[in-house]
Amino acid sequence: MASRRRMLLKVIILGDSGVGKTSLMNQYVNKKFSNQYKATIGADFLTKEVQFEDRLFTLQIWDTAGQERFQSLGVAFYRGADCCVLVYDVNVMKSFDDLNNWREEFLIQASPSDPENFPFVVLGNKIDVDGGNSRVVSEKKAKAWCASKGNIPYFETSAKEGFNVEAAFECIAKNALKNEPEEEIYLPDTIDVVGGGRQQRSSGCEC
Amino acid sequence: MHETDQHDLSDDADYAASQGLRSNLQKEAAKRSGPSETSGAEVVYQKDNVTIHPTQYASERISGRLRLIKQGSSLFMTWIPYKSSHTSNDVGQGSNARLFEKERNLYTIRAVPLTDVRSIRRHTPTLGWQYLIVVLSSGLAFPPLYFYNGGVKEFLATLKQHVFLGRSADDSNVFLVNDLQDPLQRSLSSLELPRVVSVANGTSSISASSVPSIEDSDKINGDNHVGSLRLSEYSGKQRQKSHDPRDLSIQVPSLPANAPDKGPGDTEKDLTEAPVASDPLEKTQCRKEKHGQEAATRVGTFELVDCKEFDRLSLVWGKPRQPPLGFEEWATFLDGEGRIMDSKALRKRIFYGGVEHSLRKEVWKVLLGFHAYDSTYAEREYLKSIKKAEYETIKSQWQSISPAQAKKFTKFRERKALIDKDVVRTDRSISFYDGDDNPNVTLLRDILLTYSFYNFDLGYCQGMSDLLSPILFVMECESESFWCFVALMERLGPNFNRDQNGMHSQLFALSKLVELLDIPLHNYLKQADCLNYFFCFRWILIQFKRELEYGMTMRLWEVLWTHYLSEHFHLYLSVAILKRHRKKIMGEQMDFDTLLKFINELSGHLDLDSALRDAEALCICAGENGAACIPPGTPPSLPVENGFLNSQQDDDD
Repeated sequence: MASRRRMLLKVIILGDSGVGKTSLMNQYVNKKFSNQYKATIGADFLTKEVQFEDRLFTLQIWDTAGQERFQSLGVAFYRGADCCVLVYDVNVMKSFDDLNNWREEFLIQASPSDPENFPFVVLGNKIDVDGGNSRVVSEKKAKAWCASKGNIPYFETSAKEGFNVEAAFECIAKNALKNEPEEEIYLPDTIDVVGGGRQQRSSGCEC
Repeated sequence: MHETDQHDLSDDADYAASQGLRSNLQKEAAKRSGPSETSGAEVVYQKDNVTIHPTQYASERISGRLRLIKQGSSLFMTWIPYKSSHTSNDVGQGSNARLFEKERNLYTIRAVPLTDVRSIRRHTPTLGWQYLIVVLSSGLAFPPLYFYNGGVKEFLATLKQHVFLGRSADDSNVFLVNDLQDPLQRSLSSLELPRVVSVANGTSSISASSVPSIEDSDKINGDNHVGSLRLSEYSGKQRQKSHDPRDLSIQVPSLPANAPDKGPGDTEKDLTEAPVASDPLEKTQCRKEKHGQEAATRVGTFELVDCKEFDRLSLVWGKPRQPPLGFEEWATFLDGEGRIMDSKALRKRIFYGGVEHSLRKEVWKVLLGFHAYDSTYAEREYLKSIKKAEYETIKSQWQSISPAQAKKFTKFRERKALIDKDVVRTDRSISFYDGDDNPNVTLLRDILLTYSFYNFDLGYCQGMSDLLSPILFVMECESESFWCFVALMERLGPNFNRDQNGMHSQLFALSKLVELLDIPLHNYLKQADCLNYFFCFRWILIQFKRELEYGMTMRLWEVLWTHYLSEHFHLYLSVAILKRHRKKIMGEQMDFDTLLKFINELSGHLDLDSALRDAEALCICAGENGAACIPPGTPPSLPVENGFLNSQQDDDD
């Protein structure tokens, strides 16, 4: 029965308000960027069909409100997640400092069965801003943090320009798939996300 | 904990717990009271195989015995589920059996005095069993009782012999219990009796010793005598009830001509021999005339809104919407010095039609409470000027923070950054806020930052910019916008509390209203594990701001701010919208994710006027029972002083 049903992979995007969670999701799913997004209230999600070799999967990407005051809603939205994407703005130090809180809060609220090995992916967004001149978090610093948390895959992205977004989500999907319980019969080693990705400028997906 | 019990009456678990507690106390009381104090109780009605359907699954139905027990001049209703067969047949395993036992206790009706019953609704579906829904004065309704072996008529006829039973004028299937029209009864009811009376929870207010101890199913043995009822404290006692004017219109008409169950020699006949008999045909005609006007303005008709009877929807709609209030008409509400003479009439007028846009600037300040209804032109001018100065003072608090000071003031920097991020993504598609360096965006920013200093504890929270935007758009004045926003936040502030208790209490109330007004939908959401109502979070947090286009948001808000039928009209609106889509929600078996997506995508597709009319009908029909679903202090009510509104309602499931 499981093999007949299209498998759902649930991904949660977290991070401070205004780091670009909604934009990243829309860029990946709709290939669009708008300057007129509104602050997300509550939660919403978009879905995208992804293909791994001959199998189709549905990636369900959850976009949540970024203010920590709304975290108590997380219980309802995080449950059953297969991968968590932590986003920060490379131009805002606080948004990077807060990654740890987001990670811990997620683990508390989603309470995955194996928190040690639950897949996270970190995205440093808005690398396009001011030609990189307003950047305050270095790639090195971000990678060091990711390494200290069990080698979390790290990507630098620009949702506005669509840079590295495809590659990042490819990795996210792959990690989400790895997290699925083994009831699924077939787990390919390599994946081929529809649309393909461009050259990634990152530490790459370690999976 | 006691406060919790008082207002959290309809939480099933609490209720069951209190019942359990009560029955224990009873046993104690019964032990203590000697035989001299007890007198015999008589079972005046008994029916087997009266069943409740907790879920849609036949295997989970619970059958039991329904009885009416008379003790002195008081009558009690009990429904005790059977113990054995069901458990062994359907749920063998330990955990399931325990679960069933829990359910069983939950649903057991232990000696509820009929004085606590508000109404009984009879359902006679063309297919399937007849059933009754018993609604308590507290607003709590027992699950529908299905009479597998018939006996509904006898039940009502027996009731009629012992308590005052009147039919609702508008729905012959609704029987109102204890509508104290008898002057003697009324004067009795006005006696203050020495017991704990809680406003919201009628059911737990019965003192332990006054309830007969006949709750134990082991005692069911078919004889008509049940011992050890202690009534010394109960006789002559009547529940004190606040009387709704609607109740006065109750009459006891003969059955409508098309009543399916009318027959000569029926027990029902007792019921038809009523003091005020009206011609059934006349009644039908009268009801037809009321289509779309005042239909459904009485108790008990809300079930008609169900989709299966969609064609009858017009029957229960609220009044047609009126054109918005304009300047000329507005002037008629004012006396020579500018006081609003009849605030209720004004609120009613706005409730039904809203306000013309050019007049909003005046009217919103009154609706929001910035100006008092009885203030004069002069007083308003004066207030405006002093409040402007006051605003400037508060604003200067953050304006005076130098960059050097800001460096050492993290909270300020973070707050400002958050506001800066949000104002540039608030309603930028409206020309009032569009374009680069729009001064109105700066005003939004300044007002929000000032508010976060005015109410430093609450600070800034996402959603506030959505609430402020239309206010600034209407007022076009910084200081007046600020004070109107302050007034609005007096009521909606708890939506943004760190512990989210304002939101939780509203979502809780919403779930209780759906339970009251649409049991099938409630049951569906329950089994789909959606009772947290998080899918309505955005609706509630910012009052449908993201669901409607700008003009319609303003229309809705002024309607809500009238508090004309209810302070919580937005919750009835939510029920109305859910009801409109229940067929799809239930038909497509939506799970939480799908439902959330579906609700989010209703944005921009809501028909506000018809939703308002539905909500009006629902609100009126729900009446006191609806109000009882909403814990005191639930936003936008002003906060309860002693602060007992806490987050105990978090887990309704």
